[in-house]
Amino acid sequence: MKAVFVMRREYTEAIRRKAFIITTFVVPIVMASFLVLPVLFATMEPQNVVRVAVVDQTGNIAPQFVAALTDTLKNGKRSFTPTIVPTTAASYDETRAGQIEAVKRGDTDIVLAIPQGIMTGEKASYITREQRNYNVLQRFEKALNDVVLKQRLAAEGLDYERVKDLTAGVTVEMNQITAAGSVEKKSFMAEYGVVFVFVMLLYTSIQSWGVTIAKSIVEEKGSRIIEVLLSTVTPRDLIIGKLVGVGMAGFTQLGIWTLLGLVLTGGGLPVLLASKLGALNVPPVTFLYFVMFFVLGFMLFAALFMVIGAVSSTEQDAQQMQVLVTLPMLVPLMSLMMFMQNPNSAMAVGMSLFPPFTPLLMMARIILLTPPMWQILLGIGLMLVTILIAVTFAARVFRVGILMHGKRPSLRELVHWYRMAG
Amino acid sequence: MQPAVEIHDIVKRYGDYTAVDHVSLNVPAGTIYGFLGPNGAGKTSTIRMMMRILLPDEGSIRILDKDLATVNLDRIGYLPEERGLYKKMRLLDQMVFFGEIRGLPRSEARNRAGAWLERMGLADRAMQPVEGLSKGMQQKVQFIATVLHEPDLLILDEPFSGLDPVNANVLKDIILEYHRKGHTIIFSTHQMDTVEKLCDHICLINKGRVLLEGTLASVKQRYGKNGVSLSFTGDGTYLHSLPEVASYQDNGNEVFLRLKDGVDPGRVLDAARARLSVTRFELAEPSVYDIFIEQVSGDVR
Repeated sequence: MKAVFVMRREYTEAIRRKAFIITTFVVPIVMASFLVLPVLFATMEPQNVVRVAVVDQTGNIAPQFVAALTDTLKNGKRSFTPTIVPTTAASYDETRAGQIEAVKRGDTDIVLAIPQGIMTGEKASYITREQRNYNVLQRFEKALNDVVLKQRLAAEGLDYERVKDLTAGVTVEMNQITAAGSVEKKSFMAEYGVVFVFVMLLYTSIQSWGVTIAKSIVEEKGSRIIEVLLSTVTPRDLIIGKLVGVGMAGFTQLGIWTLLGLVLTGGGLPVLLASKLGALNVPPVTFLYFVMFFVLGFMLFAALFMVIGAVSSTEQDAQQMQVLVTLPMLVPLMSLMMFMQNPNSAMAVGMSLFPPFTPLLMMARIILLTPPMWQILLGIGLMLVTILIAVTFAARVFRVGILMHGKRPSLRELVHWYRMAG
Repeated sequence: MQPAVEIHDIVKRYGDYTAVDHVSLNVPAGTIYGFLGPNGAGKTSTIRMMMRILLPDEGSIRILDKDLATVNLDRIGYLPEERGLYKKMRLLDQMVFFGEIRGLPRSEARNRAGAWLERMGLADRAMQPVEGLSKGMQQKVQFIATVLHEPDLLILDEPFSGLDPVNANVLKDIILEYHRKGHTIIFSTHQMDTVEKLCDHICLINKGRVLLEGTLASVKQRYGKNGVSLSFTGDGTYLHSLPEVASYQDNGNEVFLRLKDGVDPGRVLDAARARLSVTRFELAEPSVYDIFIEQVSGDVR
C-alpha cells in the first residue's frame, strides 16, 4: 500500500508548515475573543472617579440624587464625586452655562442639569466631553427617575416602596428539556455564541484543508511530479493517501483545539461568562460530534477540491473554481441565524439532512437541541453515500485531468473524461 | 537475452492528430539507448506510454520481459521531460520519499540519499527546502531521486536540457556508472554530441514514425564512409550542385558533404580548390548530427 507513503508525506509537510502552527494557536484565541470580548466590553467599568456637577433648578432633587450615587469602583473608591452647584430658579441658565465652561476647562467631567419642569416631563440634560459611557448615563437616569418618582408619588400621598412592589415586572425565563429529560435554563446569547464558534471552526477547517489538497495537487501537476508518482503509485492510492494525510493534519489541528476547548469550558471561561450569558453548557460529546463532522465534511469537500486541483493548471485557476465548492458551505452559514430560531422545523430538518449542509447544520442542531438519533444517523449515512460517490467521481476525473495542461476543461469534457476512465 | 523494452506497432492519437504512428522498437538489455527526434516527433508520448501514463490506442509494449500491465514499475526509474520537485520539502525528506514510493525501505532510502548528497556536495543542505537550490542543483537532485532505488531500466526524458557543461558531465558520469553495472538506460535528447559519446543504440523518430533504428555503428555503416568534411574561406554554396555530391550540410565552421556511391573524393577536392581556399579536407563518416539533419529535413512525408 503505497498510499501510506503519500499519506505520511502529506501529513508531515502539512503540519510543518508555518501557517499550520500559526492558525492552530491563533484561531482559538480569535474564536474565544468572539465569545469573551463583547461581554468584557459590556461589563467594562469606568476606572476613573468621575466628577459630576449637579445644577438643580428645583432645588430639592439634587440632594436625594447625590445621596443615591453611592457606587464604588473595584478599588473601593467612590465612582462619582458629585457636587451640587448652588443656583436659583432665575440664575439656572447662567449657572448651567458656567458649569459647561468648567467641563471645557477640565475642572469637572459631567454636568447634570435638572430643569424646573422635570416633574412634568421636561428632559434633564447630561453634558460631557469625554464621559460618553452609556452605563453612566443609564445609572444617572435610573437614580434621577427614582427621585422624581418618589416626589411625584409623595405629592399624591402614595408610598413609593409600596407602589414599586405592586408594579414589579414579570420575567419569562427560557427553559429547555434536554436529552436526559431534565429541564434546564437556556440562554439564547450563550447558545448563539457556542453554535457560532463550532460552526465557524468547522467551516474554516473543512474549507482550508480542502484548499490544501487542491494546492498540493496543482503543485504536483505543475512540477510534473505527478508523472513520477503515477508511474509507481496507482491513482487510487494517491487519492487515498492525500485524503487521509491531509485529513489527519486537520484532525490534529482540531484535536488541539478540542483539548483547548475542553480546558476552557471546563475551567476559566464559564466562570467568566456564566454570570453574563447564563450557563455555558457544552457537553463533551459535542466535541466528539465536532471532530466527526469535520472528518465527514472534509472527505466530501476534499474529493471535490481534488477534482478542482486535477483540472486546474495553475493555482489561480484553482482559486477561481474553488467558489463552486465553497458555495454549498456558505448557504448554511448564511441561514444560520434563521435556522437557530427554529432548529426543529421541517425545513431545518430537511436542510440538515442534505449532505453538503449536514456537517454545519447537523452540528448546529446537536448543540441547540438533541435531535432524534435516527436523524443524526440518517445524516451520517447520507453523507457516507455521497462521499463514496464523490470520491469515485474524483478518482476517475483525476486520472485523466491530472495529466492535462493548459485549457480548463468544459463540463462536457469532464463527463467525457469520466466515461474514458471507466 | 530478452530486450529490456519491446514496443510493437504502437499508435497514439490526440483527436485528429497522430502523435505516434505505428512505432516499433527494441531496446536490448544493458545498452544506452538514445531516443532522438526533433520537437514534436513523438518522443515524450512514446516514453509516457512506456510509463503507463498514457495508454496506446493500438499496439503493445513489453518491459523487462513482462506485459506493461503487469510489469513492476518500481524496477524502472523515470525522469519526466519537465522537471520539478516539492519546493517546500526538505532535500533529504524529498529523496527518501521518492525512494520509498519506489519500494526502498525507509532506512535504506535514507542511507543512500545521504551518500548521494555527500557525493554531490549537498550534505550540509540536506535539511533545507529545495527552493533555495539553483536550478542545476535541483535537476541533479531530481536525477538522484530517480536513480535512488537502482532501477534495472532508467528512462530519462531530455536529461541534459538546461544543464551547464559541468553538471551535464556529472550526469553523464552517473549514466555511465549505471551502464557499467549492467542497467539499461533510455534517454531522449536532441543533443547529438552526447548521443555520439554515450549511446550504443539509437532510434531516430520524426512525425511519429521511426526513421532509423539500430546500433550506432550499424546506422553509420548504412550511411557509408563516403563523406567529406572540409573547411575553407569563400562562398562554398556552389558545392551543393556538384554532380558528385549527394547532400550538402553547412555546419558553420565546416561543411559536410555526402558523396554519391563510387565517387572519387579527390575530384571533389579539385572542384573545391578551383574556387575556394581550402584549409582542411578530410574523409569522414557522418556524425549522428549529420544523419539527424539529413534524415529529418529529407523527411517530407
